[in-house]
Amino acid sequence: MDTPLHLDPTRLMQEIGTFQRKLSAGMGQLRGMSEPGYANTPRELVYAEDKLKLWHMQGDRAPTARTPTLIVYALVNTVWMTDLQPDRSLVRNLLAQGEDVYLIDWGYPDGADRWLTLDDYLNGYLDRCVDAVRERHGLDAINLLGICQGGAFSLCYSAMHPDKVKNLVTMVTPVDFQTPDNMLSHWCRELDADLFVDTLGNVPAMLMNWVYLTLKPVRLNQQKYVGLVDILDKPVELENFLRMERWIFDSPDQAGEAFRQFIKDFYQGNKLVKGGLVIGGREVDLGLLNQPVLNIYAEQDHLVPPDASRALGRRVGSTDYTELAFKGGHIGIYVSGRAQREVPPAIHQWLRARD
Amino acid sequence: MSGQAGDFIKDWQVLAQQSWDAWLRQLQPQPAAPPPAGSEALERTLAGLKGCFDWMQGVAAAGASQPGADWQTLLRAWAGSGNQPFTQAFNGIDNAAAQGFVQQWQAWLQSMQTSGFSMPGAMNNGPVPAFGLHREQLMQQQELAAAIQAALEANARYQELIQRANAQGLERLQARLAQRDATSPPIESLKALYDLWVDAAEEAYAEIALSEEFRAAYGEMVNTQMRVRRLQQHQTGQLCRELGLPTREEVSSLGERLQQLRRDLRKQGSGAAADEILALRREVAALKRELAALAAAGPAGPKPKTTAKRAAAKAPARGKSSSASSPRKR
Repeated sequence: MDTPLHLDPTRLMQEIGTFQRKLSAGMGQLRGMSEPGYANTPRELVYAEDKLKLWHMQGDRAPTARTPTLIVYALVNTVWMTDLQPDRSLVRNLLAQGEDVYLIDWGYPDGADRWLTLDDYLNGYLDRCVDAVRERHGLDAINLLGICQGGAFSLCYSAMHPDKVKNLVTMVTPVDFQTPDNMLSHWCRELDADLFVDTLGNVPAMLMNWVYLTLKPVRLNQQKYVGLVDILDKPVELENFLRMERWIFDSPDQAGEAFRQFIKDFYQGNKLVKGGLVIGGREVDLGLLNQPVLNIYAEQDHLVPPDASRALGRRVGSTDYTELAFKGGHIGIYVSGRAQREVPPAIHQWLRARD
Repeated sequence: MSGQAGDFIKDWQVLAQQSWDAWLRQLQPQPAAPPPAGSEALERTLAGLKGCFDWMQGVAAAGASQPGADWQTLLRAWAGSGNQPFTQAFNGIDNAAAQGFVQQWQAWLQSMQTSGFSMPGAMNNGPVPAFGLHREQLMQQQELAAAIQAALEANARYQELIQRANAQGLERLQARLAQRDATSPPIESLKALYDLWVDAAEEAYAEIALSEEFRAAYGEMVNTQMRVRRLQQHQTGQLCRELGLPTREEVSSLGERLQQLRRDLRKQGSGAAADEILALRREVAALKRELAALAAAGPAGPKPKTTAKRAAAKAPARGKSSSASSPRKR
């Protein structure tokens, strides 16, 4: 009988021996390495409040765009995914294209931020950042570039403050939170969000990371590190790996009240699609969004499935709506080589046509 | 078991132990050296590698114990030897990233016992009627015991689904191997087999994780754990009050009030500024009307009204004659 397995004991021993040698040789290198830094593109602090910082990013040349673009990142993880390393930086590539880029670093919430609501984040922090940028440029409206949860925030903000947003770009942004393939949504549907937040207060980053790892437990917790053995003797690849690990696990806790609202209204209530979403007494109706919208999603996104993003096209009121599919995943859309070539130029061209 | 196979397992085990010892040595702190920046990554790496290593060891040992057996027998032998590779991978996350619930519960129980609190036997024997001076305390402890029991049961149901994912992952692996035809390249390395298993295990897990049964079990697991923690917090709060220490509820309540105050202040601030701007706009409009009237009347026209005079008087370092043009310049 023909067999698909040809596992010869002698060869297996050789395989293990090779594996061990590579590991032993590489471990010394791993031990001596310092913490890899991010790209740290030059930037100027233009506004700060509590733990929030609004940065104006500086390129090698003056921007050619008349309207500045404010990057609104998610509350989970940090905004430095957009400026991870010099050759993998959405920010740097946008600057190189001539865009004028600002970004919000939400900071790391602690007990003092336990009662921050979505209203505080959107109609408070974000609105004041938008005002700060508008004032600096003497403009009525600026561009928003929202990422993941920050994309959902940007949609809500644009619906609540339409006069302050000229163009809206959303990247890997969930809109329909209850598509059948959305594992995160599926898991938190039965969650008692009130009990959860009343008990935990702020939601620990460690717990959030645990949930993300359990989306693909073997691949993310085991196979990834097996693959590391093959790059232990390649300093550049090893540094890139460690930098990504730093970004993944160096993540902020979630402010309790904002988390409660997000789970109940977005994941459980799916109100962005079904309607009835109210933030700070203002109703959020995507049908009233009339700004030009560029919606970029990742085809292999396991956190925000493509259908969850594409739902925006059916809800948004704007007649100027563009969708862009990227061949990659939720993180690859910022850091892969393909992303560097495709995404920033696409954003720039779209914005330039509407500047 | 043949002698050759026995030798192989022996060699394998020695090699595996040597490898593991070498890795662990890398984790030992070096004297007078700063802690390495990548040590956390190193720990995670080693945990992941150990899981993979165990997996490989299981397959290799199964193969060596049944020399000449067909691949299906080999995999059955591996699966039947108590291997739960998927469960191990899953528990690896639990250990590395978040303390397991059972460990948390044990730590809590230990701390309560050392603090002089005792748990009634309600967990095993069921609730008993409470009365007398310590009625409330007894009731709370019984409530906590029942909540712990519910959480442990919910956790068991969740773990059962993880084990099911493990079993179905192995079945999928077998099915994939069986589907390979004569043109498919044979699998000659443990790494290739491991990668194939990872694909199969993740697929099986994803299917279960998206089921209604998993959704209910997941929700129940989280909610029952939160219930236990809430009751623990309540008891800790009571202890703090007895010791005259601020409780979590009190601190949280202060934070809530402070946040509301900040909102109110900001609202009032922006409201007052808006009122002031509105009043100034009205005054400017009135001034413009009066100026227009003055211009229309010419040099012999009526004198400016009181409002304009007041505005002129407020203008800093300017003569009375400049008051008419100052609002426009602004």
